[in-house]
Amino acid sequence: MDLLAQILINGVLLGGLYAVMALGLALVWGVLNIVNLAHGAFIMLGGYLSWHLYTYLGIDPFLGLPITAVVMFCLGYVLQRGVLNLIVRAPMFNTLLITFGLEVVLTYLAQLAFSADFRTINPSYAGSSIALGPVVVPVARLMAFGVAVALTVGMWLFLLHSRLGRAIRATAQNLVAARLYGVEPRHLYAMTFGIGIGLAGAAGGLYGTVSQIDPYIGATLTAKSFAIAIIGGLDNPLGVLVGGLVLGIIESLTVLYVGATFGDVASFGVLVLVLIFRPSGLLGKTA
Amino acid sequence: MSAVLEITNVTRRFAGLIAVNDVSFTLNQGEILGVIGPNGAGKTTLVSLISGTLAPTAGDIAFEGRSITALPAYQRARLGIGRTFQIMRPFPGLSVLDNVAVGALFGHGGGESDLARARELARAQLDFVGLAKFADQRADELGGPSRKRLELAKALAMQPKVLLCDEVMAGLNLVEIDEVIDVLKRVRERGISILVIEHVIKAIKSLSDRLLVLHHGEKIADGDPDAVLSDAQVVEAYLGRRRA
Amino acid sequence: MKGLRWILIVAALAVLAAVPWFGSDVLVQFGINALLLAVLAQGWNIIGGYAGYASFGNSVFYGLGSYGVAIAMVQWELPFAVGMVFGVVLAVAFAFLLGLPVLRLRGHYFAIATLALAQVMIAIVSNLSIAGQNIGLVLPPLNDDRLFYELSLVLLVAATATVFWLTRSRFGFGLIAIRENEEGAAVMGVNTTLYKVLAFALSGVFSALAGGIHAYWITFLDPASAFDISLNVKMIIMAVFGGPGTVLGPVLGAFVLSTVSELLSSEITSVAGLFFGLVVVVAVIFMPRGVADLMRRFRTTGWRYFVENLKAHRI
Repeated sequence: MDLLAQILINGVLLGGLYAVMALGLALVWGVLNIVNLAHGAFIMLGGYLSWHLYTYLGIDPFLGLPITAVVMFCLGYVLQRGVLNLIVRAPMFNTLLITFGLEVVLTYLAQLAFSADFRTINPSYAGSSIALGPVVVPVARLMAFGVAVALTVGMWLFLLHSRLGRAIRATAQNLVAARLYGVEPRHLYAMTFGIGIGLAGAAGGLYGTVSQIDPYIGATLTAKSFAIAIIGGLDNPLGVLVGGLVLGIIESLTVLYVGATFGDVASFGVLVLVLIFRPSGLLGKTA
Repeated sequence: MSAVLEITNVTRRFAGLIAVNDVSFTLNQGEILGVIGPNGAGKTTLVSLISGTLAPTAGDIAFEGRSITALPAYQRARLGIGRTFQIMRPFPGLSVLDNVAVGALFGHGGGESDLARARELARAQLDFVGLAKFADQRADELGGPSRKRLELAKALAMQPKVLLCDEVMAGLNLVEIDEVIDVLKRVRERGISILVIEHVIKAIKSLSDRLLVLHHGEKIADGDPDAVLSDAQVVEAYLGRRRA
Repeated sequence: MKGLRWILIVAALAVLAAVPWFGSDVLVQFGINALLLAVLAQGWNIIGGYAGYASFGNSVFYGLGSYGVAIAMVQWELPFAVGMVFGVVLAVAFAFLLGLPVLRLRGHYFAIATLALAQVMIAIVSNLSIAGQNIGLVLPPLNDDRLFYELSLVLLVAATATVFWLTRSRFGFGLIAIRENEEGAAVMGVNTTLYKVLAFALSGVFSALAGGIHAYWITFLDPASAFDISLNVKMIIMAVFGGPGTVLGPVLGAFVLSTVSELLSSEITSVAGLFFGLVVVVAVIFMPRGVADLMRRFRTTGWRYFVENLKAHRI
């Protein structure tokens, strides 16, 4: 029973992180109608950025998150403005393909720049944990979870209440609507993609504190983010949070009861099943 | 006159909305039946229910005395039910000729298996609707009125027994409407029964043997065109609003 | 004009078939790889180019073909040919069992569902003892590159002939109709479910055969390399670069990209990977319909071709 409680806690903590990973993907997909297959590669880049900030400048990974997010936002903005805006009206398949091309480019650039060795961000408190009765809660994971939930809720409030957020939501329905908010569509698209990539960068920084980073983690993280977006729907960041928690818990339970090598089978199996039975997402109305 | 198509108490709901409500009618052999009604009356839904792209929530649809309610769209097509789409959807990347050839290759009875023969049949249909000179163009390069004819040619190439026309005259000018009316009358002479959904009242009145009026998904009149169009309920529900 | 084209094709085939007799070992090995990649691109062309379903799951067929041969030869000590048949049976079974539910999905959903299936397969095979778990299997070596080369060539000819048949058969027209407008195809009498599954299976058969040949040639396989998703991406890129939905486009794309990639990777391996990524990005922007379309239209439009593609899809 204690073991189960521990596993559930692990699943929930992991799930919060998963939610931030998927948040940017869901935003870009919902608004720009681009499924960004390079999303995981951007998470990877964010992880490396955080790692460099910590290792060479001694900036705490959690305090460095805003820097990582802003740098990644700029990268995303430029990429959308300079490259992806050229193909946003192309058929779905072409947009999939071009983001995959980006993923390949980013992966190989990372391999050239950072080598294939894996990295972990290990601040002083990395090993410490809090005991809650029989259950142990690692501090780093708990902090990552807290930041993840804060980011998700913040994103929700931003989309709901800020002027830019409302323009972005309107654009998800109809590009013309963006003009009613007085925002130039090219700029709005670039802002949206930038925010998506900024979130991916932040997720990467968090990921680096709880797991290992190497240049090849992107593809798996993209697929997981997609699974979460499907489960949670594209309408609402809070749906994505639920999706992340669901996937985190399922994965942890599978590792416990079926075997460590089946963790990925569980998440992708869930993805396929959800797609088959609820193509519009478990919670979403229009995915 | 024998019934080709029998619609019995058919209902279709979309989340909270009743698009077609308990509608019953028959289409007789060799008949042209006009279906009119204001926007949102459930006309296109009705065509989709008969052609099988939508399933009814309740009720039964029979073709030549046999229930087809449970059959998928392609099997209904092979039995001899052809339809056109109001929102014209050709196969955009194919030539006009090959668009029609698909109808000949599949369609009623499973179609023609030889491609060259299918193209010959398709060419004949293009001649029939007056599109022969566009045969080698890509379908997405056709103008609106020509696309309406292409929809007709595609459905006719299936050699159907029943043709369901979803607003084939909308957006056409008076001359073009007369031409389509002429085409449909010649289609009927081949023994094909036709169900025509239309907005253009004048056109449908001169074309139809019988007229059926839908309003909010319900049938409110069914009978001789002149009698139906002077029916008080119809005038109020549909025409009245238009004339006001 | 038509006669000339056939003469050219036969001549090109004769030259290709003669390569092992005059080419170096390195050239023959490069040839086997390029031919197998062309088979994969051509196989993908059936489901992706003709039926319009962007499958990211064709590497599963490839993996099943590889493991079919490996399991038959290593665990059951059966001949290679039986292994190939076993691999094909596995691929067809997979196409029917999982194709039926997955092919109901469209667009992004289909692409990602097939991607996920590939991931699931890696994990499942890693846990099967008959497949050597995550260590993999070692096949009995056969040192006859000439044979592997000719086998690959025959397979490519068969795949290309199949695609050629698609362009003039009822089945092929049904697939094209599905690609262009699925609902429209259904109301004209195309059994869309059956046709899609058949196309998926047909596409899978060629991928599985290519996987089988490759496994026996390389003599070693493990789950990560047999179900490698980047291989699936390579076949898509080659097919799309050459021209999806055309008979020779995917073959052309596979040959051109294999050659350039080979030239680059003799310098640095990562550079070849980078190059692939950049080709995709540039190609999607400037020639989204592939080399085949470029060659057809470039003559009339000239350099404006690229500008027009750009204008059509940007905001």
